[in-house]
Amino acid sequence: MVRMMAGLGGALILAGGMAHAQDGTSDTEALLGQSWDEIVEAARGGEVNVFMWGGADNINAYVSDYIGGLLEEDYGITLNRVPLTDTAEAVNIVLGEVEAGAKAGAVDMIWINGENFRTMKQGDLAWCGYVDKLPNAALVNFDNPAIANDFGTPVEGCEVPWSRVQFAFAHDTARTDAPPRSIPELLGWAEANPGRFTYPAPPDFTGAAFVRHVFTHFAGGADALIGPFDQARFDEVAAETWQILNDLEPSLWREGATYPTSITQLQQMFANQEVDLFFTYDPAEVGTAVVNGIFPETAQSYGLTDGTLANTNYMVIPVNAANKAAAMVTQNLLLSGEAQLEKAQPDVWGAATVIEPDRASQEVQAGFAALERHPSVVSIEELGQAALPELQADWTSAIEDGWIANVGN
Amino acid sequence: MIGRGHPWLSLAPALGVTAVLFGGGLVLGLMGSFGMGRGGFTFDAWSAVLSEGRVWRSLGLSLWIAFASTALACVIGLGAALLLRRRFPGQGLARLLFQINLTIPHAVGALGILWLLSQSGFLARLSAGTGLIDGPAGFPALTQDRYAIGIIAHYVWKEVPFIGLILLANMQSLGDDPEAAARSLGASPFAAMRLVLLPLLRPALIRAGAIVFAFSFGAWEVPVLLGQSAPTALPVLAWQRFTDPDLAARPEAMALAMLIALVSALLIRAAFAGRS
Amino acid sequence: MRTALGLVLIAALMAPLVPLALWSVARGWFFPQILPATWTLEPWMRAFAPRSDIPGALLTTTLIALAAAGLALALGIPAGRALGLYRFRGKALVELALLAPVIVPGIAVGLGVHGVFLRLGLTNSALGVVLVHLVPTLPYVIFVMSGVFANYDAEAEAQARSLGARPLQVLWHVMLPAIAPGVMVAGLFAFLVSWSQYILTLTIGGGRVVTLPLLLYAQAGAGRNDQAGVLAMLSLAPGLVILALVARQLSGRGMTFGGTR
Repeated sequence: MVRMMAGLGGALILAGGMAHAQDGTSDTEALLGQSWDEIVEAARGGEVNVFMWGGADNINAYVSDYIGGLLEEDYGITLNRVPLTDTAEAVNIVLGEVEAGAKAGAVDMIWINGENFRTMKQGDLAWCGYVDKLPNAALVNFDNPAIANDFGTPVEGCEVPWSRVQFAFAHDTARTDAPPRSIPELLGWAEANPGRFTYPAPPDFTGAAFVRHVFTHFAGGADALIGPFDQARFDEVAAETWQILNDLEPSLWREGATYPTSITQLQQMFANQEVDLFFTYDPAEVGTAVVNGIFPETAQSYGLTDGTLANTNYMVIPVNAANKAAAMVTQNLLLSGEAQLEKAQPDVWGAATVIEPDRASQEVQAGFAALERHPSVVSIEELGQAALPELQADWTSAIEDGWIANVGN
Repeated sequence: MIGRGHPWLSLAPALGVTAVLFGGGLVLGLMGSFGMGRGGFTFDAWSAVLSEGRVWRSLGLSLWIAFASTALACVIGLGAALLLRRRFPGQGLARLLFQINLTIPHAVGALGILWLLSQSGFLARLSAGTGLIDGPAGFPALTQDRYAIGIIAHYVWKEVPFIGLILLANMQSLGDDPEAAARSLGASPFAAMRLVLLPLLRPALIRAGAIVFAFSFGAWEVPVLLGQSAPTALPVLAWQRFTDPDLAARPEAMALAMLIALVSALLIRAAFAGRS
Repeated sequence: MRTALGLVLIAALMAPLVPLALWSVARGWFFPQILPATWTLEPWMRAFAPRSDIPGALLTTTLIALAAAGLALALGIPAGRALGLYRFRGKALVELALLAPVIVPGIAVGLGVHGVFLRLGLTNSALGVVLVHLVPTLPYVIFVMSGVFANYDAEAEAQARSLGARPLQVLWHVMLPAIAPGVMVAGLFAFLVSWSQYILTLTIGGGRVVTLPLLLYAQAGAGRNDQAGVLAMLSLAPGLVILALVARQLSGRGMTFGGTR
């Protein structure tokens, strides 16, 4: 429902009239020609405006306090975090500004992935080609297809990776000792335990991801769906998927007459023992929930044997950003071993890193090795063994619309 | 009453603001529904909306919610007013709670009703505690159900004090005991109430009922918390279209909002027609 | 019998408020716990901690409601006077126009008004929100004030003027004291209507103008039931204050206007 406070797209947000400092580095050609030290000096004493989803306090604190603190201390840069309810809002600001010919934009950096990134890249709104200049880019393995592609769109140096997430399920060991560990098992389990499973209705983000898992399974695996959208293949798989999901309805909570409207509602229902399974894109969330008293201590997250969707999220610099040098310094800091390690600490955020720890310093490596995982959280390595790539955006929206029309009504 | 006159200067500011904001808002919504904001005039949004089964189901649901809520609130509100007009232990507290209820925002009430009536809510836990049910599934589905019981329960909870206080105020101005004469002629208390009091209260009851109907038909805050995922109340559907990343859905959202306004406008007509 | 029904009524009126209050002092309260397993004041402390946006939202909501009520009174008192004291052709139509916003749901107006406010630069601003709040608050003020003026003794004004008083003196010494209670009621109800607005605030404020109802839905939607409980309790506060100020007027006067919704 936080997503319900959604930005209203388009020209909604008036970027004009927002006063912002410029560090005189809107000239990208000049920037690309400078050395890193020159770029840092140009950015010193300035500010950077970071637009990102603001729905999680711990993430906000990490960015504003930890990253913001380091930027201030080491570089004299002031970090302004602008909270969003929907990343599309920031994309629309940039779109509006570029269309209106605004040279120095209000947005310096956006936390982004998926459809939003594709919109920016295709619209030539993303600044590309600077990533090599960041010293800490050496810590990242850009050949990893999971990092080189953002929901099927090649990144090609137009954004910098920040965190990885992977879809995981959760159950309460006290209630369910043998949870289903694959999609077919899940379907069978639901029928054997009527009313104990359900999923949020798309367009909820996580609910749509669940539907994609089912779709991928009936397509014969993620490999069958790699690449651009194929209407014929979609229709084939969709027919079977909707059939299965409709047949599943009598075994679902409320017999499928209604679905939870958000992942939050599913979380509450799991906590209230109305359903026995939960799932999330952030397995660390299960640990946080146990610590906060939302889930019982016996809650446990786990992966599927046939794999779960994994994706990377990134930071992009708009082509008309006013403080590009400061943004580059910030991105470099975000990629640093220390910042990635801090982010991975379970009591800070618990987010999976995008860097290769063995490319970082000894201390950072030791830190990663010593990372304590909350017992309720499945290990990233274990999950990562069966990671499925995300589908391209056309598949995603077709699956979502198809579910709403064929199953959800 | 001063009598005849032309106080247009006094009326102008209020009329002006109402015309610009309210009238303008409606007109722009109408224009938006014809796609006029993005150039051109088209019936596309309206034909899409009116031919969509989902829209009719939502309209039907919203009408059901409004009728049921209004009918129940009027009947119970009348009963509550009759109850509260005479002294009894607790009368003061009940009246006070009525007044407090008026000041409670709908969002707060809806959240409270959700946490009270859901299958894992307060009442369900009391039932489980006393052994009446085994688990949440044993408790009846009162929220997010196809009869919109939770939504109607909220509107009744919120509007009974509203209607009750209006009727009480009216009864106060009617004097101490308007039915006394009828009773002294041998009529039973119930008949006296039905034949004497009700007709006197009718205008106020109709007007209050119209307000309740319009609100329970067009409000978003309540069905979003207490309603099913599909079909969903008409205002929720309109808001979903308005916030859809696909901007082509925007004219459809306006069309739905105009539909809501149209039904409400027909209500004003009916309510004011019954007035004189 | 009357007492029994009365008790049922009282219980029903208070019931939904119970889980809201309990969640605001709980740390995790899930089925089948009837009462929270852990009682704590932490939600309240977190609500008023430096990083919390609740105090800011409290201030914003209050200021916007005061401004909207003030504006509504400024526009509505003269209009109410006109409707209450005068007969004129087209009066029914004027009444219809001024009171229609009570019947027409906010969403119908908000979506349309959004476009023009955008062009005027009023979106994402508190000013824009105050202006759009006028739509639901003004009719209430007009309704109350027209009732007040209908009972108003215009003779007193005529007498004062015949004794040589200037119009401003008449206003200050004759009219205002007479209508003051009604003004207070109308103003406070306008405050309450603005206080509980959601759709209009969200549409025009764009999520940048953060009021208590917005936070309430955000917290409830994020599953932070303890914070939502605190917000619910805070949202009740002005209503209780207003009631204390106005109670005498409500029960004493036999006004035909019963209250806000």
